[in-house]
Amino acid sequence: MSRALPEGLRRTLRRFAGLSAVERVLVSGAAVVVALLVGAVMLLGSGYVASCREPALFLAGTSFCFDPVAVYAAMYQGAFGTPVNQALTLQRMTLLIFTGLAFAIPYRAGLFNIGAQGQFVLAALATTVSLLALGPLVSGPVATAVLVPVGLLAGAVVGGLYGLLPGVLKTRYGTNEVISTLLLNFIATGVAVVIVKRAFNNPEIQGTVTRSIPEAATLQPWLFPPGTRFSVPVLAATLLLVGGFWWLLNRTTLGYDIRVLGRQQAAAVFGGVDDDRVTVLSMVIAGAVAGLGGGLYVMMVVGRWQVGLPALGFDGIAVSVLAGNNPVGLVPAGLLFGALQSGGLAINFQLGIPRELVDVLRGLVILLVATPELFRIVGRRLQRQGRLRPAGGESG
Amino acid sequence: MDTAVSLTDITKRFDDVVANDEVDMRVERGAVHALLGENGAGKTTLMNVLYGLYRPTAGEVYVDGDRAEFDSPQDAIAAGVGMIHQHFMLVEPMTVRENIALGWEPVTHGGLKTDDARIDTEVRELSERYGLGLAGDLDTPVEQLSMGARQRVEVLKALYRGADVFIFDEPTAVLTPQEVEELFDIFSQLTAQDKTIIFITHKLGEALTAADGITVLRDGERVGTVDAAGTTREQLAELMVGREVLLDVDRAARGASGDDTRLSVSDLAVTDDRGEPAVHGVDISVRGGEIVGIAGVDGNGQEPLVEAVTGVRDADAGTVRFDGEAVTGLSRRERLDRGLAHVPGDRQEQALVMGFNLVQNAVLGSQHRPPFGRRGRIDWGAAREHAEAVIEEYDVRPPNPDLPARSLSGGNQQKFVVGRELSREPDVVVAAHPTRGVDIGSKEFIHERLLAMREQGAAVLVVSASLDEVVQLSDRIAVMYEGSFVDVVPGDAATEEQLGLLMAGEQPDEPVPTGAGR
Repeated sequence: MSRALPEGLRRTLRRFAGLSAVERVLVSGAAVVVALLVGAVMLLGSGYVASCREPALFLAGTSFCFDPVAVYAAMYQGAFGTPVNQALTLQRMTLLIFTGLAFAIPYRAGLFNIGAQGQFVLAALATTVSLLALGPLVSGPVATAVLVPVGLLAGAVVGGLYGLLPGVLKTRYGTNEVISTLLLNFIATGVAVVIVKRAFNNPEIQGTVTRSIPEAATLQPWLFPPGTRFSVPVLAATLLLVGGFWWLLNRTTLGYDIRVLGRQQAAAVFGGVDDDRVTVLSMVIAGAVAGLGGGLYVMMVVGRWQVGLPALGFDGIAVSVLAGNNPVGLVPAGLLFGALQSGGLAINFQLGIPRELVDVLRGLVILLVATPELFRIVGRRLQRQGRLRPAGGESG
Repeated sequence: MDTAVSLTDITKRFDDVVANDEVDMRVERGAVHALLGENGAGKTTLMNVLYGLYRPTAGEVYVDGDRAEFDSPQDAIAAGVGMIHQHFMLVEPMTVRENIALGWEPVTHGGLKTDDARIDTEVRELSERYGLGLAGDLDTPVEQLSMGARQRVEVLKALYRGADVFIFDEPTAVLTPQEVEELFDIFSQLTAQDKTIIFITHKLGEALTAADGITVLRDGERVGTVDAAGTTREQLAELMVGREVLLDVDRAARGASGDDTRLSVSDLAVTDDRGEPAVHGVDISVRGGEIVGIAGVDGNGQEPLVEAVTGVRDADAGTVRFDGEAVTGLSRRERLDRGLAHVPGDRQEQALVMGFNLVQNAVLGSQHRPPFGRRGRIDWGAAREHAEAVIEEYDVRPPNPDLPARSLSGGNQQKFVVGRELSREPDVVVAAHPTRGVDIGSKEFIHERLLAMREQGAAVLVVSASLDEVVQLSDRIAVMYEGSFVDVVPGDAATEEQLGLLMAGEQPDEPVPTGAGR
């Protein structure tokens, strides 16, 4: 028999395990408030220690370099204040939904896909290369109609294949997918750099960068000012995709198979689920979704492949965990992460808050919002094992 | 005679669940007392209170007339109360001597060495005095002993720690009928020397045979205490369930079965999870309208056999046929599509997704085909109707399809699983322990349903650890021992004694004709 947990801890875990959806939203909101308060203390503290020419705040005869209220105001402005800032927030949110889905779907089948980053990077390259190759062949009004689907398809296929690999390794050879997907990220980046350097380097620019994709293949802003890199139709399609995955998981036989497999493998086998097939399939779907994200990153944001793509694949893991690995939850979780990124950028530029401190503030919000969720997950697991009962043991 | 154990007004609450409600119980010194009740009646909880695992919410415990307040089993052992759990608390790779002395070793050289000689003397003396017959096995690792012998090691362990009161939790669950008799002999040896025995059981026959007094619990309350002498099985059953119960299965005459073999297994070999051969050379065929029972002590290959027949596990060799068609190469889903219903032995692992509600569980195994699955989509409305129908027909409680399977008691989970599986309109039914953990009333109903399957022409294979159940239901009985069938006997000719010997691995004296398909 395992050791009993202290009653106080058990009571707390039981409380978290039993939270309803509404309560979870309230808890998350409260966590953001607490994070902002703790962050304010951090800002005051570091502003007291730091030396600056023009202190931002005087309190009780002491000068502080950073004024928390001003910082948060600037952060909010940076995330939501102007259409340009809103576009950046929504752009990040959109991309994070894709990489978040790439973690959430395998998770529901009982798999940890840490490989969204590699799938994202290689797919971005595939999109770029296919558009560069096809671009000169089409022109005129049909160009967009041809290039956009081709670019997205190339990303999805390559991402899917790069998800297929760990899926097959797992079912055929029992390779742990955490290890294989993690390592495949490094391989993906390395391979992409070599391919670009050898075959697709743009000679006019220093560094490992391809030429730009044709103008007709870029996704143009709509309702947002020109120059912003966010397209409203893309967000609309993304939300449809989220709805589609919710539907897949909850309304289809495949979704049922995925969920049974993720919860109880023996029951899945009993219920006639082909566990190898579902494992491979969910990894392929995840890779394809991450790949779509990579394709969109090229076509909507940078217009080419370049070394040092942002770590959206890894951030997607955090977004998904925050969302309780529920497709619908990815929307608010993605929005929070997107706003923190654009808002963080703004306070760094405008107020000169050091990047490190910006990361601390972002980390605080993520940590405090994710912790209740973690308690809930742990609580539910222990409850399933019957270890949260008031006085232990079963009644006979 | 004086009172060895007295429990007065014991109440034990878990949150808002009352496991024991003002239960009184007195056991005289030197007596055997049975604590009888269905699963969930509160028997084990009450004994855990006596053994110091739980503190009662209210009420008092007296041992030898002294008020006892145990904080842990150590306190109970110190007061002379020992418990032999259903799942033995033995370290299997260690020898009998080491297991008995574990934690209580006499030492020499200032604690540097255990005094093996002294252990030997004391253990041999105890073994002889109580007729436990373990003196020759002191150096044998426990894993090499039979279940009966392991139980005797537990008894000896309790004696070595100075127990006067022995609590046995479902002691016969893992024993062959012969071993059960040996156990009851040990009871007599112990009581002859003024030891006191309380044993937990849900089997009426055992309580009447072995006990002097019987306390019956139902829903956490004591519903009666009777003398074993002068009480009938029917009276006990009525006390236990709270209404009159039909103890014998009312079945149509045997031999009503058709001629067509619907399920056949030939020369089957299966390996278990540890990679050990678990089943070898098994042949059996079941005709439509026939029930074949598989008897045997748990763990003799019944589970791997059932899993290989139903497609949960791959067979190493041999063929399984449904209606003459070889299905050995087919997937589990394809076998389900060919009219298979399967009640697995481990319902909580296999048959139910514990975190899903009953609506979601109602389609498990049928999620891909009408009426639930159409063109890849699941019709949750149809699933809900189905769940409600099963709940209604099989009296699953509480009757709420939105509750997660986890929140149901074991017996109600089982009723739901049996209901779901038998509603597939199957041609082949494979049921492992179909009534494990369900109350007598529901047991009766599940038996009726299995017999109805037989009437409708299905081939039914029943595995059960309960010999009564196998004998009552089966047209033929195959006895399994160490991975193969020792013998197949006609159901109406089988006696418990004969089956018991076969279950212990003894070969039949003369070959008995074993019916069709051999």
